[in-house]
Amino acid sequence: MGPVLYHGEPNGASLTVLAALAEIGLAIPCQPIDLLAGARHALPGIAEPLAIDLGIEGEGPVLVIGGEAMTESVFLAQYLDELAGGCGLQPDDAYAHWEMLMWCRQITERLSPAAALLGNLANSQAAIAAIPADELAALTGSIVSDDLRARWQALHDGAVDAAQVADSEAKVDQAVGRCEDKLADGREFLMGAFSIADLVTYSWLAGMELIRPESFAAAPLTTAWLARVAARPCVVSALALAKTAEPLRSWAPGPEINRWG
Amino acid sequence: MTEVTLYHWEPNANSGKPMLALMEKGVPFASHYIDMLQFDQHKPEYLAVNPQGTIPAMTHGSRVLTESTAIMEYVNAAFPGPELMPADAQDRWRVRWWMKFMDQWLGPSFSMIGWSVFVGPRVRERDPEELAAAIERIPLPERRRAWKKAISGDFSAEEMAESRRRVALGVAKLEEELGKRDYVGSDQYSLADINIFNSTYSLPLSQPDLASKEKTPNIMRWLKRVYEREAVGKTWAMGKTDMAARYSLVMEGII
Repeated sequence: MGPVLYHGEPNGASLTVLAALAEIGLAIPCQPIDLLAGARHALPGIAEPLAIDLGIEGEGPVLVIGGEAMTESVFLAQYLDELAGGCGLQPDDAYAHWEMLMWCRQITERLSPAAALLGNLANSQAAIAAIPADELAALTGSIVSDDLRARWQALHDGAVDAAQVADSEAKVDQAVGRCEDKLADGREFLMGAFSIADLVTYSWLAGMELIRPESFAAAPLTTAWLARVAARPCVVSALALAKTAEPLRSWAPGPEINRWG
Repeated sequence: MTEVTLYHWEPNANSGKPMLALMEKGVPFASHYIDMLQFDQHKPEYLAVNPQGTIPAMTHGSRVLTESTAIMEYVNAAFPGPELMPADAQDRWRVRWWMKFMDQWLGPSFSMIGWSVFVGPRVRERDPEELAAAIERIPLPERRRAWKKAISGDFSAEEMAESRRRVALGVAKLEEELGKRDYVGSDQYSLADINIFNSTYSLPLSQPDLASKEKTPNIMRWLKRVYEREAVGKTWAMGKTDMAARYSLVMEGII
């Protein structure tokens, strides 16, 4: 079986990887799957499932190469860039590369779990709550990761407390603040040149503009940057793969909120 | 060559990662030992280097670098010496995946157990007022909460059980991985080995129910191979606490 990229609607982690693939132009077949139906946990032809079974990103895309499931959107974007021989999505300079990695880690550790929680509460929780008990049991039974299963169950049960929501809103505000600071010197993209940092930040922040506009009210630089990224051909191509009218409102259970430290 | 300075605690967990990476690359560096148990990392002289008050940190000329795994990637890319990332793109992905798995999922569980049995009890022996003042100096709110919890021994039974579950599962998955490849994520010694070794080197001693010659032969073979590296010996010689004594004990058990 040849390589396949299984992905959800172009939002969050799936958007990052679809846009990276469009940017590098390699002909890897893409297969849309219904994340909210649990399709990510029933993929065919996987001999090495570890990265799905214990992945941290939640319901992100899965690239299957040689029977090995590969996950985590930032690393998949790096992989695609390197597979193509380096097509400019990562800085060459070691220090600039360190800065990009640090930025991406801030986004995936802090913004992604927060955005996923708010996005799911606004757009997916009703659908998850409506899954009949026997179907939900079958779905969650197919999830190997105990902590990802618990996040599905919490959304189904409405067991999300106000403190978690407030913490997530604060993290979205902080991410916007960080973008605003970074863009203050007039740079076009977050690291100067367009990079994976723009893809991953856009992928988690663009949907927040729809459900938490107040975070962006005093952030003109960030709003203009979001528009610039949205106009990049690779992002346009990725968004064009959407099966729904508003892909940036499409969410599935995401990464865990840091449990310690 | 521009001078490198590393601010670090013991050759263990996060501090041990850039120490060992620099040793493997053969990069000379000035060592600044930051005594975590004395809260050196929150004192003004260190906050002038890294305002977030986290260790380790590294300076290279005028550049300041933080976050142990990202520092290692910088060290590998910025300096000549043995290559610590595999050449194959899929192997590189796997090395990164394992490092994230350790840094964000498994490591915090190791850390919670380590803090509850080692750091917390040691620090609690000190004057409560001095401790309260030390906590107030911590710049990051998350770290402040974490230290408060560690010092007061305030981990719930549920949290500790989840950490133990993760450690047991993570060790089992590492055993499987090392049955497939010579090293973590590839057949070449890499940053993933340096990362994971620094949190697992004492497992046969601290958690013999999880890691032993009988239960985890692949891990034991890998540990032995990494233990025997010259750079590991040199890095461990920089330790100042009795943690260093544990290394030889584990080594005795492995051979």
